Amino acid sequence: MIDIKLISKNNLKLLIDTILNMRKIVIAPKRKSNRLYFSRVQAFADIELDFVQTALSAKSVVFPRNEELFNYIFDGKNVIIKNTEPLKQEVIIFGIKPCDASSFDYMKEFFLNENPDVHFKTHFENTTIISFACKEADDFCFCTSVGGSPTNTKGSDIMLTQINENTYYAEILTEKGKAIYDLAPNLFDINDELDKKRYTAEVPVKFDCSKLTNKLENVFEHPLWLKNSLSCLGCGTCAYACPTCTCFDIQDESNIYGGSRVRIWDTCALGLFTQHASGHNPRSIQSQRWRQRIKHKFEYSKENLGYISCVGCGRCIRLCPGRLNIVDNIISLVEEN
Amino acid sequence: MENKNMYVPYLMTIDEVRLEAPLVKTFKLSFVNEEDRDNFSFKAGQFGEYSVFGEGECTFCIASPPTRKGYIECTFRQAGRVTSALNNCEVGDIIGFRGPYGNTFPIEDWYGKNIVFIAGGIGLPPVRCVIWNALDLRDKFNDIFIIYGARTVDDLVYKNELEQWETMHDVNLFTTVDPGGETPDWKGKIGFVPTILKEVAPKSENSIAIVCGPPIMIKLTLPVLAEQGFSNDAIFTTLENRMKCGIGKCGHCTVGPYYVCKDGPVIKYSELLTLPQEF
Repeated sequence: MIDIKLISKNNLKLLIDTILNMRKIVIAPKRKSNRLYFSRVQAFADIELDFVQTALSAKSVVFPRNEELFNYIFDGKNVIIKNTEPLKQEVIIFGIKPCDASSFDYMKEFFLNENPDVHFKTHFENTTIISFACKEADDFCFCTSVGGSPTNTKGSDIMLTQINENTYYAEILTEKGKAIYDLAPNLFDINDELDKKRYTAEVPVKFDCSKLTNKLENVFEHPLWLKNSLSCLGCGTCAYACPTCTCFDIQDESNIYGGSRVRIWDTCALGLFTQHASGHNPRSIQSQRWRQRIKHKFEYSKENLGYISCVGCGRCIRLCPGRLNIVDNIISLVEEN
Repeated sequence: MENKNMYVPYLMTIDEVRLEAPLVKTFKLSFVNEEDRDNFSFKAGQFGEYSVFGEGECTFCIASPPTRKGYIECTFRQAGRVTSALNNCEVGDIIGFRGPYGNTFPIEDWYGKNIVFIAGGIGLPPVRCVIWNALDLRDKFNDIFIIYGARTVDDLVYKNELEQWETMHDVNLFTTVDPGGETPDWKGKIGFVPTILKEVAPKSENSIAIVCGPPIMIKLTLPVLAEQGFSNDAIFTTLENRMKCGIGKCGHCTVGPYYVCKDGPVIKYSELLTLPQEF
């Protein structure tokens, strides 16, 4: 189902007000210390819509940075397990870019395909995604190299494209999107389909992804892994900023009364990630961890799920303190013989 | 099933604690909830996540055989935060267990064959599960060989069971310790596991070999088995990568596209050869 509408900037504000008045949670780009983060907003005025990319993605809505899996209390020698149900809250993500929206499509495939994750499932089912086609891009964007584009609707429930100062072209894409539209249909006007590309950024294709996947199958041992990752500090910033990184750790937090079992983001960039109790480490040096990152995203994900797990948002490049550039790395791999 | 929180563990009571070797203990665990006990089943080779509430979870195989019902056993060496907490647990304490996870040894396919068990150090527990499974169904198998080595006599685990297997006329047991690890009254062999395997030379025809132990032992044992005529499809091992979730999500245990937790831990040597060296 695709339903084409128009909505004015002022009516967009009224739509957000309507949603907020219904006590639903709205997560949108909000400025904090000169950077944009997806945060809970209380008013349309909190939201910033003119930007290329937020500092972090919105994945924490469905895969929180830390999340209680259940909790328990101590009762003498006994243990009583409580609160095994995930928190159920309706969330609207507003102002997300097409690359981030498509990461939800990947995460859905990953978390729900086998041994479905009930926490992810609950959050995902209660999340509606209202995305904005990209007016601008920067040198770090590479969505078009990984199957995306500034107008890609994958993962979005509603996609908005700004066509002039005061008007947005609105595609109602899913049932969830329709439910938002139905909250205030009078705020929208009807319209014909138009070519979104006229109003959006152009992102040049930087590498051939299928060529990369084929190449990766044959380069487990290769001097480029070391050469390309020499400046990697092993800090994990790339993974924490990445909208498709899904690895986690499970830990207990407790006191004398009881505690909770919590899942926390983790990353293959860290040495401890794979270290055995004996001290043996299958990925003992940083270049092996860098190789794992690239091969997982562009080879193993494809093999296991049929999707590559990179959406080209460019955050890992913008934020890397070692100035590692995944695109330059990939190009050098593809071009190497 | 679809909406089950897979991270909620069964509550287990520690019924028995046995000190196997320095820092190595075995727990016998029973289900607190009778319904859990009745619904629980597993097969040889599977593992679980054991947890001390307040400290966290860690991964070990189920060391008891599926032929013995109503309880499970695990054997662990004290190394980090959770195993240290487990080490402090006593009979009657409650711990958590989730599982069983992972694939299994294809034991039914081995009926009528000779089985050669080869284990080193703390690698015996996953093999012990299969050994007792086979011994409980003894008439279904031909010759059974067990070659087990540890660094020192003290480090051999399941000493009581080794004595038991020694006395069984239909089990060929060879225990060994590394040179220098013997005691004055040691009656077993002295030498590394691959050396002893060469010496014992169990026949490879109609035989299956199960190898489990430290990576270096496995690495040196496999060529010896090949020399003796074992095909890569007749050799099985279990991978033991670091794990957190046990169900293919947390990403810790991967070896290339292979998840040790759900595609393994049991793996044929022929399949192991197709994986990158990340274990």
